[in-house]
Formats: sequence, C-alpha cells, structure tokens
Amino acid sequence: MPATDYNLGRSILGIRRDQVHTMEGSQGVSSLELELETFQRQVTDRFHDLGSVGPEELLSLSWIRKLLDCFLCCQDEFRAILFNHKNLITKSPVDRLIAEFFERSVKALDVCNAVRDGIEQIRQWQKILDIVLCALDTHRSLGEGQFRRAKKALIDLAIAMLDEKDSNTTVAQRNRSFGRNNVGRDHRSLGHFRSLSWSVSRSWSAARQLQAIGNNLTAPRGSEVVATSGLAVPIYTMGSILLFVMWALVAAIPCQDRGLQTHFSIPRQFSWSQPILSLHERIGEESRKRERKNACGLLKEIHQIEKCARHMNELADSVQFPLTEDKEGEVRQRVEELALVCEALKGGLDPLERQVREVFHRIVRSRTEGLDSLGRANHHE
Amino acid sequence: METTAPEKSSSPSPRNQNFVSSAPDSADTHIENEDVKHPDVEDEIKEAPVEHEESSSAAAGSDAGEKASDLDSVSDEIDQFLSLLSSMEDKSTPPDIPDYVEVFCKLVEMQIFTYDSGDSSARFGCNPDDDSRFLESVNRISKLTNVITKFCSANSYYAVSLNQTSSVMQCAMNFLENEFHALLEDSNSKRLKKEDSNVRALKTKQPSFSSNSYSNSTSNRESSNGLPESESDHPEEDSSPHSPEVVARLNKIATAMISGGFEAECCHVYSMIRHHAVREAMSKMGFEKMSLDDVHKMNWDHLEQEINRWCSIVKETSKLVFTTERNLIEAVFSGYPSIYQTLFKDLARSVIFKFLNFAEGVSMTKQALEKLFKVLDMFEVLRDLNLKINKASYSDDEWENELKSEICTPASRLGELAYCIFCDLEGSIKSDTGKTPVPFGGHHPMIRWIINYLRVLSDYKDSMEELFEQHQKSKERHDETAESDDHENDSKPPHAINNNNKNHRNNQNQKNKKMSGFRAQWMVIMHCVDQVAETKSKLYKDPSLRYIFLMNNGRYMLQKIKESSEMQELVGDAWMKKWSSDLRTFHKNYQRETWGRLLQCLNQEGLQVNGKVYKPALKERFKNFNAMFDEIHKTQGQWVVTDSQLQSELRVSISAVIIPAYRSFLARFSQYLDPGRQTEKYIKLQPEDIENAVEELFEGSGHLSMARKRT
Repeated sequence: MPATDYNLGRSILGIRRDQVHTMEGSQGVSSLELELETFQRQVTDRFHDLGSVGPEELLSLSWIRKLLDCFLCCQDEFRAILFNHKNLITKSPVDRLIAEFFERSVKALDVCNAVRDGIEQIRQWQKILDIVLCALDTHRSLGEGQFRRAKKALIDLAIAMLDEKDSNTTVAQRNRSFGRNNVGRDHRSLGHFRSLSWSVSRSWSAARQLQAIGNNLTAPRGSEVVATSGLAVPIYTMGSILLFVMWALVAAIPCQDRGLQTHFSIPRQFSWSQPILSLHERIGEESRKRERKNACGLLKEIHQIEKCARHMNELADSVQFPLTEDKEGEVRQRVEELALVCEALKGGLDPLERQVREVFHRIVRSRTEGLDSLGRANHHE
Repeated sequence: METTAPEKSSSPSPRNQNFVSSAPDSADTHIENEDVKHPDVEDEIKEAPVEHEESSSAAAGSDAGEKASDLDSVSDEIDQFLSLLSSMEDKSTPPDIPDYVEVFCKLVEMQIFTYDSGDSSARFGCNPDDDSRFLESVNRISKLTNVITKFCSANSYYAVSLNQTSSVMQCAMNFLENEFHALLEDSNSKRLKKEDSNVRALKTKQPSFSSNSYSNSTSNRESSNGLPESESDHPEEDSSPHSPEVVARLNKIATAMISGGFEAECCHVYSMIRHHAVREAMSKMGFEKMSLDDVHKMNWDHLEQEINRWCSIVKETSKLVFTTERNLIEAVFSGYPSIYQTLFKDLARSVIFKFLNFAEGVSMTKQALEKLFKVLDMFEVLRDLNLKINKASYSDDEWENELKSEICTPASRLGELAYCIFCDLEGSIKSDTGKTPVPFGGHHPMIRWIINYLRVLSDYKDSMEELFEQHQKSKERHDETAESDDHENDSKPPHAINNNNKNHRNNQNQKNKKMSGFRAQWMVIMHCVDQVAETKSKLYKDPSLRYIFLMNNGRYMLQKIKESSEMQELVGDAWMKKWSSDLRTFHKNYQRETWGRLLQCLNQEGLQVNGKVYKPALKERFKNFNAMFDEIHKTQGQWVVTDSQLQSELRVSISAVIIPAYRSFLARFSQYLDPGRQTEKYIKLQPEDIENAVEELFEGSGHLSMARKRT
C-alpha cells in the first residue's frame, strides 16, 4: 500500500521533471528534486507510523508527543529545503507562497499557547487526583473520614472539569449551585478560580484559529508546481501538516472553544494524504462516540480521569463501614487504576509542555530566518 | 501514666455505651444535633473519673472556662492513650478503646460547631486561646486517627472508632481549609483596593516618538519609560496586605493541615487563591490577554501604549511576586522549606509565562525606527526579570534554567530587533532626499529629530552595548561554524588558513576594543548628521544664510550633546573639539561674507584724489553703506538664531567689527559733508543706531520689528 503511494507522489514531481529540465541547468535541479521526493517520502512514512497505533494508543499522551516529534522533524526538513534553495525562494511566485505559509504558521502559535494552558489545566486535575490518592492510601485501614475526603476532592475535580467544558459566565453560577447541592454549606468551590486558559482573550476561539490556519490552503496546480521548480509541493505539504497537527492538538487538549469541524481535502496523489486523512477520520470518530461527545479533550488520559472519577464516586457512595473484604479489594483496585493515570500524567505532561514550547520556538525561528532571507533579497533588488 | 490509662478504659460506664449507640453516623448530623447533645456531654464530663472533678468544678464559673478545662483533661487522657498505643510492639492485641476518645471527638466537633455558629464573637481568630487549643486538638485527633488505623484489622471496635475519629478529623480539616481560604481571600480584596490607587498613577500617557513626522519631540528617558521608579515609591515592607496576626493564623492553620497529612489540600487552596490574586492584581493594572494574532495586527500607536502598560505591569507584578508573595509564602509555610519553595516556584513560573507571550508578539513585528525605545524598554524589563530570578534562586537549577531560557528567547529576539532598527537608522538618514531649505536658517527638523533620537538612545547605552556584543558573538559563532563546515568539505589541511583567520580576527578585536561596536555605529550616525547638515546647507543660495544654518544646527547638536554625559562620552572629546572649531570657522566665514563686504564701504582707499577727499565718492560710500546695512538689517532680522548665547556672540562680534570702523570713518569723513541737509541725507546712522540695529538681528521677526518702528 505505501509503495503505490510513493509512486503517486513521484508522479506529481515527475510531471514537472521534463519541463524543468528544459528550463534550467540540470545539475542543481535534480538535487532539488531528490530532496523534494525524499521529503514527501519521509512525511508519508512518519504519518503512516503515527497511524499504525491501536485505538488504545491513539490520542494518548505518548501518541501526542510522537505527533509533535513528527511535526518537528518535518519542520526541520522543510527548513533545510528552504535554506538550501535561498535563491529560489526569493523569486515569484515562491516568495508569495512562503509568505503565506509564514502567516499560517504565526496563527499556529496561538494554538500552541492555548494548548499549553490546557496542559496546565490537566495538571491541576492531576493535583486534585493526588488528593484522592492521598486520602485513600490503601496501605492503611480506611474509615469514613477518608472516604469523605476523597469524595470532596472528587467534587472539586468535577467542578474543575465541568468548568472547562463550557467557559461561559453561567458556569460560575452553576458551580455555586452545584457545590451547594452536593457538599453542604461549608464547601467552598474552588472551581470559580478558573485559574488557567489565560494566554488568550475570552473571545479567542480555537475553532476559528484552525479555520484561519486552513484558509486558502489548496493543493498547487501543475502550472504552479512548474513555476516554482517544485517548491510549491513542500510548502503545501508543510501547510497541511501544520493544520493537521494543530487540529489534532485542539482535539486532544482542553482549550477555549474547541471545534473539530476542520475539513481536510488533500488530493490523493500526495502520498501522505492517505495516512493523514485516515487519522483525521479516526480522531473524528472518537469525538463522535457517545461517551466522549461532551469531553473537554479527546486525550486518552482525560477519558481515564473521567472513568476513574466516576468509578471512585460510585464506590464512595456505596461503601459501608467497616469495609468488607470484597469492598476493600475493590477500593484497592480502583486506587491502583487511579494511581496509574496519575503516574502517566505526571510523567507525560511536563515533556509534552516542553515539546509544545519547542514547536512554538521552531515556528518562530524558521519564520524569522525565512523572512530574513526574503527581506535581504528585497534589499538587494 | 501508662498504668492509669488502661485502668480507666477497662471500666466503661453504661451511659457511655448508650451514647455511642445513639451517636448518628455522619459528622454532619453530629453537628446539627450538637446543641441537643451538648448537655449530655456536659453530664458526661462531670461524671468522669474522680481525679478530674476538682478541675471541672474549679472552672465551673464560666461556660467557656469549663469547656476548656474539660478539653484539657480529656486531652491529657488522649495523650496518655496515644503514647500507650504507639509504644505497643504487638499490634494484634490492642487495649479497649477508652470512652474519652469519643468524648474528645464530641468536644472537637462542638468547637467546630461553635466556630461555625455565626456568632461573630465566637469565630475562629477571635479567641487565640481557644484557637490554639483547637489546633492542638486537631493535631491530637489526626495522631489518634493514624494510630487507630494500625489496629483496625485486629479489633473491630477500632474500625468503628476510626470512622468516628477520621470523620471528625475530616470535618476539622475541612473547617481549617475553609478558614484558610477565607483568610487568604479577604486579604485579596484588601490588597486590590490598595493597588487600585497605585495603578491610576501608572496610567499616564507617554509622548510618542514617531519618525514619520520629524516632530518636535523631545522625549526623554523618564517620559518614554512612563514610570516613576516605583521601587523607591513603595517601600517593600508596607506592600504586604496581610497583618502579622493574619499571617500567624495562616501559618498555624497550614502547620496543622500539613502535619495532619492534608498538605495536598492546603497547597492546592493556597496556590489557587494566590495565583488568582496575582492575576486579579494584574488585570486591575490593565493586563490584557492578547493573542499573538492580536499583537500582529495592532497598529503602532496602540501597540506602543500596550508596551508601556506591559512594562509597568511586569515591573509591578514581578515585585509583587518576588517580594510580597514570596514573603507571604515563606511566612505561611515557615518550617516547610520544600513546600514553600515549590509553591513559590509554581507561582513565579506561571506568572512569568503569562508575560512572555506579548514579548514574543512584539519581537515578531516589523522593524521601524520609532519602535526602538519601546523594544529596548521591553528588553530591559526582561533582563531585570532575569536578575530577579537569579536573586530568588533556591539553588534549583532546573527551575532557574527553564525560566531563564524561556525569558531569554523573546529577550534575545527583542534585542536583535533593537539592533537591527538602530543599524537601519543610517540607511533611513541617507535615503532622505528633501530639497526644501528650512526658512531663515533655523534648525533642520531632521537633524533635530536625529539628535533627540540619539539623546534618548544614549540613556540605553549599556543595553545597546550589550546587544552589539551579543550580536558580534553570535555572528562569530556563526562564522566559526560556517568555517568549520567549509573545512569539513575541504580536502586540504585547514590549520594554516584557520590560524591566519583567527589571528586576523584577534587583531581586529584588539582594535575594536578601543571603541565598542555600539559606539562605532553611533559615530557613523554622527557622521551622517554632519553630512545632513552639510547637504542641507547647500540648499541656501545666500552663503551668509548657509553659515547661519550651519552654526544654528551645529550649536544645537553641541548643546544637546553637552546636556547629557552619556552622549558626551559616546561622542568623545576629539569630535566635540572638531565640532567647536568647525563652528568657529562658520562664524568667521559668516563675518567675512556679510560684514566684510559692508566694511568695504568704510575703506579709506579710493576716497581721496590727489590728497583731497573726493566728495561724490564719499557720498556714494555713505549711500552704499546705508543701503547695504539697511538690507542686512532687513534680511538678517528675519533669520533665526534660537540659541541666545550664539545670538549674543554673533551680535557682539558684529558690533566689535563694525562699530569701531564706522565710528572712525565718521570721525574722519563726516566733516567733509555740509552740516545740515547734506549730513542728514548721507549720515543716516549714528553708531548707536547701528548698535541697536545689530541687536535686532536674528530675531526671526525682522519684518515685525521694523514695522513697529515705522508706526
């Protein structure tokens, strides 16, 4: 299957080959051509690799990190292509395409920031879960008080997670009543300290930002490919990767006004279209699943938090004291589940955040470099 | 001690048993029924073992005192029980649980209930004795709970007791958490009120430095910064919104919660509220959440205001975080260094990250001359922030490095932007092709603009020098890697070339050491200004006016430079000397051009024919002199010399040249003219008239003063 895709990929570049050969000297062009083909193939390989995971791994923290790794690699190779062909990128119409790409990439920076806030949000949830773990330390005997403590933390968690789902002002109202009904007069809800989602203004929308990134992102026509010595292809490829990666991040991580309606129409002759479109399809399916429809993020670990919290709540509601041996076993099992999730979050969130920062910085850097070479060329002219 | 405890526990009274069975399951209902149960408990205490009767009756005078002494005596029993249990090696055969465990739980619940009763005089914090007794009880109950859990598997009574102690403990911790929350929050609102007034002081609009209109902007560092040095304005001590009593209470609660195993809740509440408080303070100062897209689209006027605001907010907030908040954290969690360090680092990290986005955004905007000082302001603010982190270091490299590298990225981008803007100045000056001379030889707006620009820039001298150094370093690094890349591809041994290159570069470095990169570029600009003056002076046809223009502008530059020691230092003595001597040359040339010609009229040569004064020539001389002087007076009266010192220097030198010459000419030749009509016709000016007329030169209002005279 992949092999045929590569052939298709080669064929778009192939159309160009003869035409370009007649236009310019062959030496430089053939090395460029080789680079472009390699780039297409590597992109395809990487996304095939990302798509090769089972449903359990898809959208997990480790998968998201792989996705970002993939983005960083593609970005590096793309940058190398631009760097190696400085003389070409300053010529029309490549300069226009590059400038458009940079505009697109600046818009992705805001998504990175929003996602970073989302990661911080999850980190807060993890801290609350730590309280549950601390309360139900199964190395000791558990009494009613410990279960109450856990229950209280679970309510805080529910408020914190609910808060994120719809970030309207009505939430504060809801929190208060939610708190009152469930926890009695003493409970002060911490939910109204929407501590995070703070880098962007209230009106900012991830959905709209994705739309802006994807604006005018269309596959280059044959004539355009020829006119750009083939460079239109990697520019389009990188633009699509950018859009897809940002879309997947928004799908996975809580952020303001998530919307996953982004449509991908990538012509089949691009060898990487199939793996990307299939990932898009799979993630879309995940978001349509009943239990995930209202989720604040499709990240596997968020789902696990929700599941664990639900189980734990049911358990806390059903316990009688003293605990029967059965119950005690169940508690132990649930706590272990929860501990696993916490462990995954603790180990995964920090590196993920660093990676998101890295994506941010790389985008900025490559834009600065690119604009520099465009600007310098303009000066000389 | 250890012998008495089991003795008592071995004889539980029937009433106590009753009490246990009637006790409701949940702590909530305990509380609600407390007022009903209260008398029971009182009874209970009074029927407690004999040795306590004395203390009970002694305190019977007041209800509170009674309760306190009840609690004291039960507490003693609990302590004995605790020490008994913890000394037991064999966990399989614990002693029976004594009744006073239950009594103790009730008393603690009762205290919570009293605190919560709504009676303001009974609240937590009103009676320090009660409070510390309560906190001791909380401590006791958490110890009790911990010990009891160890015996639960051996004895089912312990499991029942665990439910009770753990519930009361949860209840107490919950109460403390709420109390902690409320204390922290109250302080918030107090602080916000205070900050409100601080902020108003910050929001003064600064004059802007715009390049497109070479306007009369004389912005200086203070106004461009927009901030009074706030460090000195608000002494650090009084910035804390928490009274020492509140801090002490917070500390006690935190200690109780942490030692009771509720560290997670305590830290969670603390960081939620303090993060929120700092953010609230920031938004009160006008901090706006802005996406990079927003920054990208903003026009300069708007962005400039945002930058001013950003700078002041970062300064204020970092002071808030690194001083006030840090002091608070350390005071509240004193005794728990690892906790307070973590809390502080989290707070600082999260706040600082919020600042950086805007800096990233600005660093990505297009370069333009008018942005230089604002970009430098931001650069310096970030640099100061870095210093604060240095100072705050708890020797945690990871935290420090992460923050620093996060700050460094936008800071170095801003620095590079500033560098490029300044290097661009040369090109913009050279590209100016204006062909209109400034009327009457006044200050050229472009020269004035450049000098004022440089004047402001000189205040950023240290930063600029740092930036040039950084740029040089990164360029060298870049060159070196490029070089080594080249050599990798090179088949010949590279050493020879390499060494040569290095030596060459070292030599150059040594040469450059005398003059920093920034100063070198600065001198390039000074040279440009000189060129501008030169070029613009050529637009005047009248050579006298050309010199007046050169003097005017030269003097303006010199004065501006002398006003600032930084500028003087940058320009250097040699340049100043050269400039002063240029100015003297211009002065001389002007004298020659204007007054030299006039003096020709007073030349004695050619007036005498065969030793006798030739009257028509004399008349002609007087006529010419009068006409010429009148003309000079009229034109040069309109010319502008704004610098009063230069003005008077010019007038003095003119008078010194012309008046003695005229006086002696008059003395010598006036006798040859017939007194009366002829004298009147030809000697229109007395030396005093000339002196007065000279005083009217360079006023820029020649027309007006003449007109005034005639009427």
